Amino acid sequence: MIVARSLFSTFRSAPGATLATLAIAALFAYAFLVPLFTADPFQLAGMSIMDSFTPPLWMDGGNPAFPLGADDQGRNIITAMAYGLRTSIVVGVSAVLIGLVLGGALGLLAGFVGGRTDAVIMRIADVQLAYPALLLAMVIDGIATAVVGRERSATLAIAIVIFAIGIAFWVQFARTIRSSVLVERDQDYVAAAQITGRSKLAIVMWHILPNVMAPVLVIATINLGIAIITEATLSFLGIGIPLTHPSLGALIRNGNAFLQSGEWWISAWPCLVLVVLVIAVNVLGDHLRDHFNPKLRGRS
Amino acid sequence: MMEQPLLSVRHLSIGLSRQGTQLPVLNDVSFDVAPGEVLGVVGESGAGKSVAGAAIIDLLVPPLRRTAGEIALRGDRLDLMSPRQMHRVRGKRVGFIFQDPMTSLNPVLSIGKQLKDTMRTHLRLGSSELHGRALDWVTRVGLPNPERILKAAPHELSGGQRQRIVIALALCAEPEIVIADEPTTALDVSVQAQMLDLMRLLHKETGTAMVLITHDLGVVAKMADRVAVFYAGRLIEIASTRALFQSPRHPYTAGLIGATPAPDGQGGMQVVAIPGAMPGVDALPPGCAFHPRCPRAQADCRTVVPPLVVLGTGEAACLHPLPERTAA
Amino acid sequence: MILHFVERVLQTILVLLVISFVAFMLISTLGDPLGVLLPPDATIAERNALIARLNLDQPLLQRFWSFVMGILQGDFGLSYRTQQDVGAMIAERLPATVELAFVSLLITIVLAIPAGILCGVKPKTLVSRAIMLVSIAGITLPNFVIGILLIAVFSVHLGWFPSFGRGTVVELGNWTTGLLTVSGWQAIILPAFTLASFQMTFVIRMLRTQLMEVGHSEHIRFARARGLSETRVWFVYAIRNALLPTVTMLGLQLGNIIAFSVVTESVFAWPGLGSLFLQSVQSADIPVIAIYLIFVGAVYMLINLAVELSYPLIDPRLKRRSA
Repeated sequence: MIVARSLFSTFRSAPGATLATLAIAALFAYAFLVPLFTADPFQLAGMSIMDSFTPPLWMDGGNPAFPLGADDQGRNIITAMAYGLRTSIVVGVSAVLIGLVLGGALGLLAGFVGGRTDAVIMRIADVQLAYPALLLAMVIDGIATAVVGRERSATLAIAIVIFAIGIAFWVQFARTIRSSVLVERDQDYVAAAQITGRSKLAIVMWHILPNVMAPVLVIATINLGIAIITEATLSFLGIGIPLTHPSLGALIRNGNAFLQSGEWWISAWPCLVLVVLVIAVNVLGDHLRDHFNPKLRGRS
Repeated sequence: MMEQPLLSVRHLSIGLSRQGTQLPVLNDVSFDVAPGEVLGVVGESGAGKSVAGAAIIDLLVPPLRRTAGEIALRGDRLDLMSPRQMHRVRGKRVGFIFQDPMTSLNPVLSIGKQLKDTMRTHLRLGSSELHGRALDWVTRVGLPNPERILKAAPHELSGGQRQRIVIALALCAEPEIVIADEPTTALDVSVQAQMLDLMRLLHKETGTAMVLITHDLGVVAKMADRVAVFYAGRLIEIASTRALFQSPRHPYTAGLIGATPAPDGQGGMQVVAIPGAMPGVDALPPGCAFHPRCPRAQADCRTVVPPLVVLGTGEAACLHPLPERTAA
Repeated sequence: MILHFVERVLQTILVLLVISFVAFMLISTLGDPLGVLLPPDATIAERNALIARLNLDQPLLQRFWSFVMGILQGDFGLSYRTQQDVGAMIAERLPATVELAFVSLLITIVLAIPAGILCGVKPKTLVSRAIMLVSIAGITLPNFVIGILLIAVFSVHLGWFPSFGRGTVVELGNWTTGLLTVSGWQAIILPAFTLASFQMTFVIRMLRTQLMEVGHSEHIRFARARGLSETRVWFVYAIRNALLPTVTMLGLQLGNIIAFSVVTESVFAWPGLGSLFLQSVQSADIPVIAIYLIFVGAVYMLINLAVELSYPLIDPRLKRRSA
């Protein structure tokens, strides 16, 4: 509570972070509210070939029903983007959660068991640093394709992408939680509480939880930005989420084909939404980092 | 009192900008340095002595900046010079010896490179001449094997060796005056004495005037012709070394000397430590800044800022100065 | 020094062996090479020949050994997708990627280093602020968005540069180069800028931070006190201290740069290793993916090893005695 209140009060002195938070809230509302009132444009019923390539309202041939224009299948861009944004957000958040759970478990294990287990886990972490999230996600996608084949349901494709991105994030979480465990593990109160019969793991968990909350929140926010970009890139490259259940990246990929022929709006709007979302998440992440790390505060 | 000062500082004030306000770090300070003279500048840390030294060649680091005052070197007004003109004064006419030899040499460039770069900037010399002079300077500051030293990187030398290089760097363009800011403070006690001997030797050889900034009265007693005492951003007493140690007129100076052994062992000065601490620039008391700690303070000391006035052979800023003592 | 060198080289070799093992396990456990590579009407003899070619009749560790030995001799195995030798496929694609990386590095050096120095030396000027503002884009914009943006403006709208391909290439022995023709240079500009955008941002921001830090150090103040010109103070005395951490950090970002090369090559249909990798991912061509993994790991490790071992050239503090 106290943390939350003091964090809230810092927003007043940081207009950028406030703006970013508002932008994120607005985009979330857009992504989750619009689909409640509109038909899924990626089902046959949502398309209308007659309206395909309708330009934005203010251009010649604009149609008030399609303020930002329509794509090659006559989908309303505003509706399509809401669905795409929703998928992007769900994938991004889930991937970070997977990284958090995996990293948390491995970090606890490494810090708690120590010795060879710790060494192996941390060496794997070191080696994985050579492979950034994007590259790793591509490899995992390739492996998944080898196992289940390219023809897979949209749900499975989304699950694979979430897993592929999430697995890249465990290292940072694991390192943070491991170092916290190492600090707490040998404290006297742990031994004392053990005598009363409580499990050592439970005690340490109880004590590190408040300490790791802040850094974990910061890492999660920064990784959310990376996860969203990574998903968009994978889908743009055509190895992520199929267009039957699109994300922003898939929409941009679809629109990119029409860039040469002048229908810029099909790719430009999803690009814009993606960029605004990523910048807002990054600004918020920077703000959280500065807030929770007083050492860095005040430096440019 | 001096006919032709080499360096003349008049009404120098330095401010520290903090949140829109100016805190006075140095307040209306005036002094002269004669050709070939060594002026010791003493005071506690925070008294303003180092910023006064830096201000002379415009080396103040923001948020510090000069707010008033004139600085003249042989009549040339340093305070009016453009940055370009200032570059030709620094190193060439005014040398500067920095305090910490561990941080004042560039860690990634060889000693020879730093020495030759400095000479090349100010002197018209061919490369073989430059090399010869560089070797010469390394020898003059008392380092063995000069060829090896020139090739060495700073981290390969000891603290004392590095400070010798710093001295060579300050003197190599043959300046008219050297400002030495705590040149021995960062060194081991055993090396301090060697460094003072070296500086005395070089001073005798070159005849360069010197402003020696230090908090160590022992160093001043050994080196200086005259001494200026700073307290809380003001110059409170200036006199010849002999007169100052024999008969300090400001109670602060007296207390300062009281806390150190007399220079010639026969002073018979009573050892009195001064109670309290020097106020910071953000908490200066009204009147004489020393009055809360002064055993001689009277009512007027709390309201009147004492001006620097001639007292005997020196000058002091005190409303109720100590009487002059003659040698026993 | 020599001991340290040997230790670091051994470490690198060990890590590369581990990566190779992971890659090998991928190849040996995933997919059915015989089913993929053999035509349906293959004879027993053909089948046995392939088994021998792929060493499938040997125990796992021995197969790993021949896998590593094969790589060292340039035998990277067979692609499931094209049934070609992976080594030949890589050799064919390598020039395009190397030239792209080279030109983007050139752009980085020519543009980002002076910009970073400017931002570090005069952080308050309008130009510096503008550079910092634009550089935020390089960090936050996804790489493919930058590519699309450049295509939209310089290719579609202005028509200055092509949006895909390498232009006319010239054969030089085993190497094809696009750097000897006008159309080759026109074609490489946009992808090279797209790839460079990340590195440039990184270099500018690192240099700025480092220079601002070095600018406040005592030795720079002392250099000024000796009357050295501002140009000399910044370009000779400060830059060396700032460059080392910048290069180190850039080396650690190499993985990202390689990943971005895949994206860039895909956006501009650049016929390099990145698009080869992408095609392999799309068609689950495990041998190529595995070899690419090893390749990326090796490039990352070797370049970072080279950076680390070259420290003493830049910073004499890191030169051990008894060298």
